Order: sequence, then structure tokens, then C-alpha cells
Amino acid sequence: MPIGFIKNSLKYRRVINEWQRKYDAMAPRVGDIAPEFELEDVTGEHSIRLADFRDKKPVALIFGSFT
Amino acid sequence: MSLHEIFEQFHQQVRFISIYIREAHPVDGWWFGGGIQESLVKRVFPKVSTDLYDPTTIEERRAAAGQCEDTLKYGIRTYVDLMDDRVNEAYAAYPTRLYLVDMEGRVAYAGGLGPYGFKPAELKNAVEDCLERIN
Repeated sequence: MPIGFIKNSLKYRRVINEWQRKYDAMAPRVGDIAPEFELEDVTGEHSIRLADFRDKKPVALIFGSFT
Repeated sequence: MSLHEIFEQFHQQVRFISIYIREAHPVDGWWFGGGIQESLVKRVFPKVSTDLYDPTTIEERRAAAGQCEDTLKYGIRTYVDLMDDRVNEAYAAYPTRLYLVDMEGRVAYAGGLGPYGFKPAELKNAVEDCLERIN
């Protein structure tokens, strides 16, 4: 494993850990009201709100990226 | 069990929403491309991208999300977080995370911090418990 990659990894791992510590402290826990959102799809033409599903269906949220 | 399998099993009773957030390993960030690390990553995650720069506009982020949706073909519709990362921050989602919200709008399951806390099997159990409470 190249040394540059290892050094980079240590740096970014630290940055991500700090970010996660900061935001996870405020993230919703089981039983909390889920933060509302309204987002558009990949075309930008169709939007969705979490509130649209209240009293209709549970909602599974999958967060991620392509990389 | 994979997310796709969970989706296939429960998509009629549960709405699945994929939310695309900022890149975990862009070329201009914590890049996993080039060299032996890319080979290792591709062995475990063959469909992951290793040639994306972190989007700087919503259009770029939508394009990356569209590529991701087309490549993974989970069948789960993808929505894109705004460039201020507001939804990502509200859910402490970066780099990847799972939640289940019940019909009252309450969190029924909050997955662990990604990547190691990303456990589809836990989501599946939570979905089953949630549906049992409904029925």
C-alpha cells in the first residue's frame, strides 16, 4: 500500500471521525421525530417529502454515494 | 441479505428512498483510486466508482447520483441532497447510513455510523418489527 495513500487515509479518517462526532450528537435516535426533508430526484423534476408518507407507509432511508 | 433483496421483499409495504449525499471517496478527497487499494476496493465493491470528483453544483451531484442509480440498479429511486448537505447533517449520514421511519414519522431504526455501522440485516429486522406492529 503506497505511503501517500496511508498518510491520506489517516488524515481523512480523522476529519470524518470529527464530522461524525459533531453531527451524530444531534442525529435522531429511535423514538425521535425524524427530521423532515424535501428533495428532488436525479432529474430535478420530481420532489419527495418525508411527510408525504405519514400515516401511509414506513420509510426506509438509505444514505450514500457512488464512491 | 443485500439492500436489493430487502427492497424486493418489502417494497410494497415500505417506501424505500435512496438519498445521495456528498462523495465518500472522490478523486479530490480520500481517493481510493490507482494502485493496489483500487484493486482491493473493486474486489469487495465491484460497482463502486473511483473516478468521480466531489460535485460542486447540484447539477453535478444529480449527474453522479444518476450514474449511481443506473449502475447499481437497486430499483430504489434516488433523491439528491442539496449542496449545503442539510439532510446529510440532520441525519449524520456521511458516508453511508440506514434509517427506518415509522408511519407516525418517528425513527424506528437508526443504523450505526457508516461504513462499519451500515448493516442491511439490522434494517431488515427493523422493517419486520415495524410491520408486525402495524398488522
